[in-house]
Amino acid sequence: MSFLNPLLLLGLGAIAIPILVHLIQRERKRVVAFPSLMFVRRIPYQSVRRRRVRHWLLLAMRAGAIALIVAAFARPFLRRSAAAAAAGGGSRELVVLLDRSASMGYGDRWQRAQEAARQAIRSLAGDERATLVLFSRNAEENMRATTDHARLEAAIGEAKVGAGATRYGPAIKLAESILAQSPAPRREAVLVSDFQRSGWSGSEDARFPEGMTLTPVPVGDGETANLAVPSAAFQRASFSGQERITVSAGLSNKGRDPMNDVPVTLSIDGHEIQTQRVSIAPGTSASVTFTPFTLTEPNVRGTIRAGDDLLPADNVFHFVLDPSAPISILVVDSGADAGSSLYLSEALAVGSTPAFAVDVVPAARVVPEQLNGRSVIVLNDTPVPPAAGTGPLQAFVERGGGLLVVLGDRSSWPQNDATLLPGKVGPPTDPPGGRVVSIGFRDYGHEVFEIFKAPRSGDLTAAHVFRYRALEPSPDARVLARFDDGAVAGAERRVGEGRVIVWTSTLDDSWNDLALKPVYLPLVHQIVRYLAQYRQPRSWQTVGQVLDLAEPGRGTGERVIVTPAGDRITQDGETGLLELDQQGIYEVRRDEGGRDAARPQAIAVNLDPAESDLSPIDPAELVASVTGRAAAPAAAAAAAAPEATREDAERRQRLWWYLLTAGMLLLAAEMVVANRLSRREKFL
Amino acid sequence: MAQSIPGARFVDPAILARIGNLELLARQVVEGFINGLHRAPYFGASIDFAEHRGYVAGDDIRRVDWRLYARTDRYFVKQYEADTNTNVNILFDVSRSMSFASRGLSKLEYAAFVAACLAYLAHRQRDRVGIVTFDTDIVAHVPPSAKHFDMVLHTLDRARAERPGALARPLGLVAEHFKRRGLLILISDFYEEPDAVLDAVKPLRFLGNDLIVFHVLDPAELDFGFEDASSFEDLESGEQVPVVPESLRAEYRRMIQEHVAALSTRFSEHRIDYTMLNTAEPLDRALFGYLSSRERLLRVR
Repeated sequence: MSFLNPLLLLGLGAIAIPILVHLIQRERKRVVAFPSLMFVRRIPYQSVRRRRVRHWLLLAMRAGAIALIVAAFARPFLRRSAAAAAAGGGSRELVVLLDRSASMGYGDRWQRAQEAARQAIRSLAGDERATLVLFSRNAEENMRATTDHARLEAAIGEAKVGAGATRYGPAIKLAESILAQSPAPRREAVLVSDFQRSGWSGSEDARFPEGMTLTPVPVGDGETANLAVPSAAFQRASFSGQERITVSAGLSNKGRDPMNDVPVTLSIDGHEIQTQRVSIAPGTSASVTFTPFTLTEPNVRGTIRAGDDLLPADNVFHFVLDPSAPISILVVDSGADAGSSLYLSEALAVGSTPAFAVDVVPAARVVPEQLNGRSVIVLNDTPVPPAAGTGPLQAFVERGGGLLVVLGDRSSWPQNDATLLPGKVGPPTDPPGGRVVSIGFRDYGHEVFEIFKAPRSGDLTAAHVFRYRALEPSPDARVLARFDDGAVAGAERRVGEGRVIVWTSTLDDSWNDLALKPVYLPLVHQIVRYLAQYRQPRSWQTVGQVLDLAEPGRGTGERVIVTPAGDRITQDGETGLLELDQQGIYEVRRDEGGRDAARPQAIAVNLDPAESDLSPIDPAELVASVTGRAAAPAAAAAAAAPEATREDAERRQRLWWYLLTAGMLLLAAEMVVANRLSRREKFL
Repeated sequence: MAQSIPGARFVDPAILARIGNLELLARQVVEGFINGLHRAPYFGASIDFAEHRGYVAGDDIRRVDWRLYARTDRYFVKQYEADTNTNVNILFDVSRSMSFASRGLSKLEYAAFVAACLAYLAHRQRDRVGIVTFDTDIVAHVPPSAKHFDMVLHTLDRARAERPGALARPLGLVAEHFKRRGLLILISDFYEEPDAVLDAVKPLRFLGNDLIVFHVLDPAELDFGFEDASSFEDLESGEQVPVVPESLRAEYRRMIQEHVAALSTRFSEHRIDYTMLNTAEPLDRALFGYLSSRERLLRVR
């Protein structure tokens, strides 16, 4: 038994009061008139006798009443085990939230977490239910609301550390939903984790209502020293017609001590290429650049390993490289002016990510075969090529190709077939009053102009436009830019899978000086990338991401996915969603027309860099955020003994009520006895 | 005249105290007392034959004893006891200690009942009744007279125990004052040493007075039945003494009994009738004490 207010037990000293009263108080209070004290005075006064207690029963009742009342105010409560509490009628529903994020692989944290989870299970009475929830980025019920505690412990033993990042919000929400459905009077959750600060932003909408308790069980030991390889950069260069890649690895030291002479090794396709050594100051980052290597094949797998520490998972960084594929562009011009496509072709000759392969062909010499394999076709101030016609162009666009129509003096479009363009093309127009106009409006929400949105990110208004072709946009067209006189400068229309953009002034220096402005090159690049629907290939993914493998052009045959752990997942062509929950290289094998690809597609998956930051959050802070109440005492948390519900706590403290009642009854009985005694001694 | 209530003398004095009128009370008690004495040798004592004396001219010839004349041929006249009226003086202590009461009836009230009853009894026998109340001095004095019965009762009714008392001085004054022998009834609680009490009382006997002493004590004074330790305050001196009754009860009882015994012995040595009255007891003991004393007074005449 313990007391909530043990200091109030000092009030037990008040028991001395009735004793003193019984010994000395009577003679002080009462004065008895007596006819004569001539005899009394002759008797020697014996003060010692006065200290004798006569009414033992009264004294015992008074002292007992005081003791009971004082004990009641000290709020005694029974400190019982959870099992005993359950036997007393307060059955529990327990949810064990076990953090299996990658950071739990640090040192022996996972073993301690497993033991803490087992302890929580063992604290249950035989008929109490528990749910095991394993969580990292997402939370999943490993075993739902069962009284089979042995199976729960076995499930804890079988659980393994994952590669996911830590997110407490989903786990707490899941625990809340499980507990909300429970009829048990005591609903508790135990959170076993290393409490990484990165896992809790504070803005999660995860709340425990009244009646649910969350007990944190931190298994972190305060040690946060960690070396990680969070990123890598790849520099592509062309040398002797081959593409060479320079890999730079980023490293970070999260600890408080410097790391010296750390070996960093680059492996390509399983072969170690180079090892470099680096020193990293505490709390800083460093980078290591390896010698370039030639990339000739697609799906080349690379791995960077740095040193060795208590969390080896983030010391490895995987990536996959493919040779860069240039965007193929067919520029069709009139052929009348040799310089009409000069600026455009020169601008597209610059760039490596992606590179552009430009072919300039006069309209008269275009043949339909030239459209094959192109990503983008540019009609640069030219009529529609007679050989291609609008039909092949439309088919090209509908298949996903991009068409850029640059209007000029020589541009023309069949009047009866204007469905491909985003509007009706008008005649050349000079701004009124002989003045020049500039591009006044840009649709920064569009992918083309998005990069110019930030200040000092390219001034399109610097270009002077002397002449343009009027364009009356169709209802389904999207105006990308307008001149400051209100005329359309650029408009887009989507046709099928492809995109068509009309630019109403030339891209050379005949109608404007845009080609002479610095903003010309990025603008042209952006337009071409957009029309080609170019997506920069990612060399790696992060654990937890979901990929849609059923991308157009990837084929619709059956896919077999081999996870880094060696598991095989078979998908048909329609369903292509793949959750990347393991660290390492995924292999995707496709059945393309009855034959497997020679080199399977590879997907590199790395840990979330935030997982490498082991700095912890105060568990009490998290519990307070979730429950709105203070966390349970650390000692209790360490023992994995969940705090009782309010009702149970009240039941365990209800003893004070009985004590107070007993004290009051004893006082009443004392009053009766005292009255009788005083009546018997009525002279006093 | 109201009828007497048989057995009234046995009634608890505390109940009798509800009768506000002393005369009525005395009458009830005394008449009941007398009626209850079957064949009482005292009844009609005043008309009993006492002695013969020679006839002298003027005597009522009805009182001539003719039988004796037949035997002796001489005239003798019968004399009866009724003719022997006496002075009855009640010496009533009104010192403050007499105000003590443990059961509702104070010693003063009880003593007043006793005095009233005795006065009534004496008055009924044609004795002259008077009263002297005293504490350290004479407080009130009613000379004995056959007509002073009412005044005696009034004095008793008016008596208040307010001042300390002492026997020597007032009783000395009384002894000096009374010139005619008679019956003195002294009612007090005698909180003085027996020798001092005797010294104070003895002068009353000098003129040949008959002296009846009533020692009035409350039950609490006799058995000291207090329980809780308290401060005891002397009613007369105001002095307070812390007392644990339990520790000295036995000793006290022994001392009070010795005191009563000493008084009884000393009074007996001086032919003084001594009666100790407990205020918890009925009044008849006092009446018996008086009448037995009165009888002896007649016999020794």
